[in-house]
Formats: sequence, structure tokens, C-alpha cells
Amino acid sequence: MAEIKSFKNTNSFANSGRRFEFEGKPFPFKEPEFQKKITNIPTDNICYIRERNIGMLKNELILKNPLRRMGYESDDILNTGEFGAVMARAGVGKTAFLVQLALNSMLREKKVLHISLADPVKKVSLWYKEVFNRIATQYAIHQSVQLWDTVLPHRFIMTFRAEGFSVLTLEERLSDLIEQNIFKPHTMIIDGLPFDDAVNQDLADLKNLARRQGMHVWFTVRTHRHEEPDPSGIPAQLIAVADLFEVAIQLVPVGKQIQIKALKGPGSQGDQAALMIDPATMLIKDQA
Amino acid sequence: MKKDIRNLRNIGISAHIDSGKTTLTERILYYAKRIHTMHDVKGKDGVGATMDSMELEKERGITIASAATYCEWLNHEINIIDTPGHVDFTIEVERSLRVLDGAILVLCGVAGVQSQSITVDQQMNRYQVPCIAFVNKCDRSGANPLRVAKQLKEKLGHNALTMQLPIGLEADFEGVIDLITMQAAYFDGDKGEQVRREEIPADLMQTALDNREILIDQASMFSDGLTEAILEEKDVSDEMIIEGIRQGVIARQLTPVFIGSAYKNKGIQPLLDAVTRLLPCPLDVENQAMDMDNDEQVIALSNAVGKPLVALAFKLEDGPYGQLTYIRVYQGALTKGDTIVNVRTRKKVKVGRLIRMHADQMEDINTIPAGYIGALFGVDCSSGDTFVAPGISLTMTSMYVPEPVISLAIFPKDNKSEVNVSKALGRFTKEDPTFKAYVNEETGDTIISGMGELHLEVYIERMRREYQAEVETSPPRVAYRETITRKAEFDYIHKKQTGGAGQFGRVAGYLEPVQDEDFVFENKIRGGAIPTQFIAACEKGFKNSMQKGPKMEFPVTGIRVVINDGASHSVDSSDMAFQVAARGAFRQGYAKAKPVIQEPIMKVVVETPTEFQGTVMATLNQRRALIVGTQEEGLFSVIETQVPLSEMFGYATDLRSVTKGRAQFTMEFLTYKQVPQTIADELVKKASAEKKNVA
Repeated sequence: MAEIKSFKNTNSFANSGRRFEFEGKPFPFKEPEFQKKITNIPTDNICYIRERNIGMLKNELILKNPLRRMGYESDDILNTGEFGAVMARAGVGKTAFLVQLALNSMLREKKVLHISLADPVKKVSLWYKEVFNRIATQYAIHQSVQLWDTVLPHRFIMTFRAEGFSVLTLEERLSDLIEQNIFKPHTMIIDGLPFDDAVNQDLADLKNLARRQGMHVWFTVRTHRHEEPDPSGIPAQLIAVADLFEVAIQLVPVGKQIQIKALKGPGSQGDQAALMIDPATMLIKDQA
Repeated sequence: MKKDIRNLRNIGISAHIDSGKTTLTERILYYAKRIHTMHDVKGKDGVGATMDSMELEKERGITIASAATYCEWLNHEINIIDTPGHVDFTIEVERSLRVLDGAILVLCGVAGVQSQSITVDQQMNRYQVPCIAFVNKCDRSGANPLRVAKQLKEKLGHNALTMQLPIGLEADFEGVIDLITMQAAYFDGDKGEQVRREEIPADLMQTALDNREILIDQASMFSDGLTEAILEEKDVSDEMIIEGIRQGVIARQLTPVFIGSAYKNKGIQPLLDAVTRLLPCPLDVENQAMDMDNDEQVIALSNAVGKPLVALAFKLEDGPYGQLTYIRVYQGALTKGDTIVNVRTRKKVKVGRLIRMHADQMEDINTIPAGYIGALFGVDCSSGDTFVAPGISLTMTSMYVPEPVISLAIFPKDNKSEVNVSKALGRFTKEDPTFKAYVNEETGDTIISGMGELHLEVYIERMRREYQAEVETSPPRVAYRETITRKAEFDYIHKKQTGGAGQFGRVAGYLEPVQDEDFVFENKIRGGAIPTQFIAACEKGFKNSMQKGPKMEFPVTGIRVVINDGASHSVDSSDMAFQVAARGAFRQGYAKAKPVIQEPIMKVVVETPTEFQGTVMATLNQRRALIVGTQEEGLFSVIETQVPLSEMFGYATDLRSVTKGRAQFTMEFLTYKQVPQTIADELVKKASAEKKNVA
């Protein structure tokens, strides 16, 4: 038997199965089959292809993003100046969901400004690291450290005490970052904004800010079991400001799973298959 | 020394820089009547705090070396170690926590849980040290002890338990409400020495009752007796509550929070009461040692005096009477005239003078029983050595010693200085495992390395003051490293068979990057392609190659070497031949494995008034910082960043000038990361220029 020394990656991801070359000829198996079939070869002599190009890895993860199947036209889901809301009861996974959206943008080298009104920087940071590690494990990425180093510069965390937060302060901070060329966000995530009576003006100001700065904004909205939604299913907190939101997604526990339900925007007419979140990993399930 | 070990507390005081650790210690010593006048850190009288005994400490107003002292309170003996707050002197904190049974975590009432509090908390976790928290500076504007207790929960994950409520805050801070005795305590007299206990002010009564309920509820989680009393609606005595909380503290499940203002002499006596009531005595803590004669089997130590001695030397100091070795006895007793054995060197030592330390003063004693801390003279050892009674071979697990990250070359100005520098370096390197000195073989320069600019600065200053050694220094150098980024194969033959004794060895296999390890060697040779007796030589050859990377001559780390084939010659193969072959193989594989240079990245946390946030971020951005995030805490903002160490020189001055001296920062080693290509090119250029100069 010929001694297998190395396989060369041919940079093709068609049909989600990678193709390889072996001694100059195409090696036809997809990776899982390939691993099954060559069990009789002494593994000492095989060099597995672990050192994939970081750019390729990023592309692969972007393509595997399960949200692509929800019927949104752009990878960002939202366009410039648009608002999106992720709604759920406490502890269902709003932050984890938004962190996955953020990581997807960061993989595409789009900058994400994450504003938290509830958690300190360290905790938000940990969310990202944890979700990233889970994605890396799910897709068996061996170069996770290098990949993490390349996506990290695309994120900036700002935390405020909920009572100390105002759009004016945020605007000041944002101008500091943009004018000094430190960070220009493409996506903004606001986690923990209380959707109470006083939120209307804040949201209107934020909409203007988003338009001026050419970014879109995602919010987490905490819903409550005892509050009745409107006939279209929009939770009570969002009814008064629903006009400002182009997309609304609700996370609903269904049995032991969590369903991602589009309430507003593409997919809300029941024209797309519902996606699920795996409660064990809090990751959106890849149902391909 | 008194002998009732249940009335003994070995405690440390740890916190972020300028939280008031030394001021608190000064108050404790005063109230315990150990000192008769109080002096302040950098006080107007110019005397300086008692625990800052080093001249340099008094001048700079910082603690550099941890100092040990003891005092008595409520018939209890308390050994106290005051530790530095600056992360550059982190080893002092590590070695103190290693030998302590409990700690007071001091937090600033205004700034709350700061970056160094987080580091200290991690260190306490490492050595499983139970603690109580003291929220200091409640008299300052912006102080809010309840917010700090909340931060203790959120940021450090402690189960913080409010033990006291403030009576007034900021400038109106008058005293505290004790939620166990349900009394208000005020601190009268010039120096707060008289504690006046009164009824709780009516307007605070309801809040106090609510908080007491929470306190009892929490305490009942750790005491069946208390739970029973609550369920059966019996009277709940103060002792029952204290016992419940004490169990929670010892199990590291509860962190009682006390409040006060050390500078304004408020709240110290109740804190001392709590130290005696809530923190563990040596009997409550299980200490373990490893039996070196029995495959490092872990053995629990007993505090019984009759057992053979086991003691740990945790700190060395060179004093006027020779080397002073601080020691904690874990088992048996250390008595004057005993013969003891240093487990590391196996040398027998006779115990001469034994003393108890009080900052720079000492008191002669005859014996140090188990559980106690003392010091002995005239013993030659390194810090971290274990001493035992002859006949046993137990060793305490060692302390965590971080690697130095910064170095600079020093040049003695004259001959006299040259002699003194070597004396000073000999002493400092022995005292402080994070401070290293060596001679660069190529340039002949003496290089010193340590944990930060301040760390090295302090040692250079101490050389000048204590050894009259004047030195000039080169700009600081960063400890770069090399590593590989991909797997690469090697197949190298070393062959020299022309005349004389021949040399032959072939080594084949591959190198690959490995995380979290410096060097891993794996032998996968089957069928004796390389005879077993040469495998060790191969490993040595590879390991030696790691000391100086082929790319830039920086140390190489993070490599797994696997050898899976080779060849030998019955006559010409030797250890030396295989070592040379391994070095050749390493060079061959390394060149193909995409080597890169890595630099130390520091976690830098800047605390600044919010108005300067933008400017501070700009200064950081100029220094290649990756800004992780900003946190607004009222009037203050905290900026968390990751910055290459090479960019941080002189940052203290820059920060001072852009914030009018109102911001401060802490810096600690985070990780090694790849140097950007442009910087790597500069380094290559610089190195080749230096090589030319040497030539």
C-alpha cells in the first residue's frame, strides 16, 4: 500500500463536502466517509487537514449559519437604520441568540457594538467566548484560537447601568469611537433596555442615530407570561413601538425545545420552516 | 506564645491598589494596642505606616514587600500579613495566601470591585482561602457599600452577605448597624477608639429588620440547629447565627460584608470581632503535603504538636543579621536547637534563633507550634522549600510562580558598583522567584527580568539604596517568543564518517503546534529504528533547540515533537550523534512549520473619570490596544483592553498627563499572541543591526 503522506485541500466547498487531492488525483470521499473507510491504514502516517485557511473557515461557518434558511434576503437580516427585536421570557436565550447573530457579523468582518445594561463587560465577553466555543465544537474547528483572534477585533462592548443609560450619552461615546477611528459599528446590539412607558422617545432617538451612523440595531425584549399579546402575537411590550421595528423574532419554549418564531418581517407569514434552538447548547440547530 | 490553637487566626489583607489595606492594618494594630500612635501612608508627619517599613515604601506610599505582624483581640492571637496591591508584586500576594487560613478582602466603597480585586479573588480561589469583605472609604463622596456588595455577587460570584448597614454615608457617615446584635455602633474619641453602642435609629429600623431576616435565612443554610430553631419558632441566639455564618465562610460559600472607613477610624473594631468569630483557626483548615518517598501520595497534615515537623519557608529576607526565613509550621513544632531537613536539598539544618516578626522589629521565641507563623535566622534555603523532621520526606505543594514578562540590561557605573550589583542580584533573586537575573552570553550584558516596569524600577532603586550600587539601564525589553503555526515533517540524517570516530543518526517525524504546553515529546518509534538508549538524547536535542529559536533566537514554545522513524549505526551512533541529529531535524521541521514571533499581551484596565473616556481610549488605540469594552460606573468609567507589553512603556506618564492625574490603570499578563507582520519585520531588522554591532 502506498504510504499516504499528506492530503491537499483544493479550496472547494461545493455541496458542503470538501474535496481533497491525494498524490495529484482527486480524492472523492467526503470527510466523514473518508474517515470511516481508511480505518485499516496506520494513522501515524496520516496528516489530517487541520490547518485550513482562516478565511476559508470563516466562509464555511457563514454558509453554515442556520439563520440563512429563515428566508432573510441579506446576511444581516436588517438593513441600515432598521430595528430588530428578539423577544422571550427570562432565561429562554435572548442573549445567546443575539450573540450568534453578532458572531455571524463578526465572521463577515462587520463590526458589532454590544451594549449591555445588565451585565458587566466580563460577563458579556464570556457569552461570546462560550457561544463561539460551542460553535467551534459543533463544527469541529481545530484552529478555534486563531479564528477567535481574528473575529475579536470586530466587537466592542459597552456597559451602562440601566439607570445611567441615555441615547445622548451613547451618542457621545459613539462619536468618540468613530471620530478617533477606534471603532465604527455596522451592527448595534442593545441588551437589557427596559421596554416601559419611557422607551418610546429613546427608541425614536436611537432610530435617528442608527440612520445617521449607517447601522442597524437589535434589541432584546423581555416578555412576561401574564401579559397578553395582540392578535398578531406581538407581545405587550412591543405593541406601542411596533412600527419602529422591521423584524421581530420570538423565542418560544415548545416541549423540550425552543422554537424561533418570526412575528414580523420575512418568515412571519408561516412561509418558512421554523428553526429550533438546542436548549443544551443554546445554539440554533443546524437542521441541514 | 499561647498554645490554644483555636484562638489563633492567620489572616491576610488583600485588595486593589489604594483600597486602604495598609491604613486598615495600621488601625487594627492601634486598636489592638500593638502600636501607640497611628501614622498614615504618605502622612503629613512623614513617618509612614508601620507596615511599610522599607524606606522606598514610605516614600512612594505603596507596599512592596508583604510584612508580617501579630496582635491580640478578644483573647485571640491574630497573625496578619499586609500584602502589596500592585500586580507587579503579585508573588508577594501568592506566597502570603499560600500560608494563610483566612483573609480580609478590602474593597473601595466608591470604586467597588476593581480589576485587581478580581485578580486577588482568583488567587484566593487558587489556595482556597475563606474570606470576609470590608467595604472601606464609606466616608468618601460617591460611596455606596450596598452597591459594592452587589458587585461582589455579580463580578466575583461571591455569596455576599450584608452584616452591617451604614448610618449615613459619604461626609455624613457616622457609624454602622450590626444586624446580628441589632445595635448601632458609633466610634467616639480622637481616634475612634471608643465604641458606643446604642439603639438603631428609628428611620433605619425597618431596613435593618428586613436585612436581618435575609442574614438569618442565609446563615440557616449552614446550620441545622439554626434551621430547627427557625422552624420551631424558638429564640434565635446571636451565637447560633454566628456559628451558621462561620460554617458558610469556612466552606467558602458565604462572604460576610462589613463596612467602615479605616482613614476616619470607623468600623474597625467590629471587623476585628468578625475576624475572631468568623474566620477559621488552623484546625478548621485541612492542609495537605505530598510524600516524596511514596510516589507523591497526598497526605493530610495534622496540627497535633506531637507529630513530626512539616513547615514551609514562604518568604526570605536579607536583614542585618543574615537571611531571615519566614516559616509556617503545619505539623509538629519547630523548636530552638532542633535538627530539621530541607526536603529539596536533603540537607540537615540546626535551628538557631527563632523570632516572631512585627514589621521590622522582632521578638525572640523558643518554639513555633503547628498553625503558627514565625521566622528563623541563619538557614540557607529558597522560598517555597519545605522543612521536615528527620526521617520523613513530605513536601508542601509549591506556589504558583508566573513567568517574567519584561527585562532590561543593567550596566554598573564603576568597579565598586559591579561587586555590589552581583551581591544585590544574588539576594533579590533568592527572595523573589519572579525576579530573574542572567548574563547574555553574546553581548555580555547583565539582564534582569520581572513582572513589570515598577517591579524592575524598585529593584534598581533598592540596589542603589541598600547596596550603594549605581547602575545605568537599557530601555526595557519584552520577552518575545517563537512558535510554529502548522504541522511539518522532518527527516534528518547526521552523518560524519570521514576519519576518526564517526557519528551517525537519523531522526524522522513531525512537529506540530500545541496549546497550553511549552514542549511535548512523543516517541512513536516501532521496531527499534532508533535504539531505546538514544531516545533520551533525541529528546534532549529537541529540547535544547527550543531555548533559542532559529527565526529570531527567542525561546520557542508550544511545540509537540513526534518521532516515528530513524536509523542508527552499530558503531558510529552515540548520544551526541543523536542530539546533533535532533537539532538538525528541529531546524529542518521548524523552517517548514510557518514559525511566527509572539509577544506578551497584557490585560490593561483603566479607571478614569467619564469625561476623559474618549481621550484615554485614544491613548490606548495609539498603542495597538484591542479595546474589549467600556463600563460606565456613575462618574467613573472602566476601560478594559488588551495591549502588547512593548507598547506600554511610559504609559503611566501619558495617562497622568491626559487625565490630570485622575485616572489609574492596572496591568497584568494575559497571554502571548502573534506579532503583526510589520512589527515582526522591525524586530528582524533590529536584531540584525544588533548582531552587526556585536560582531
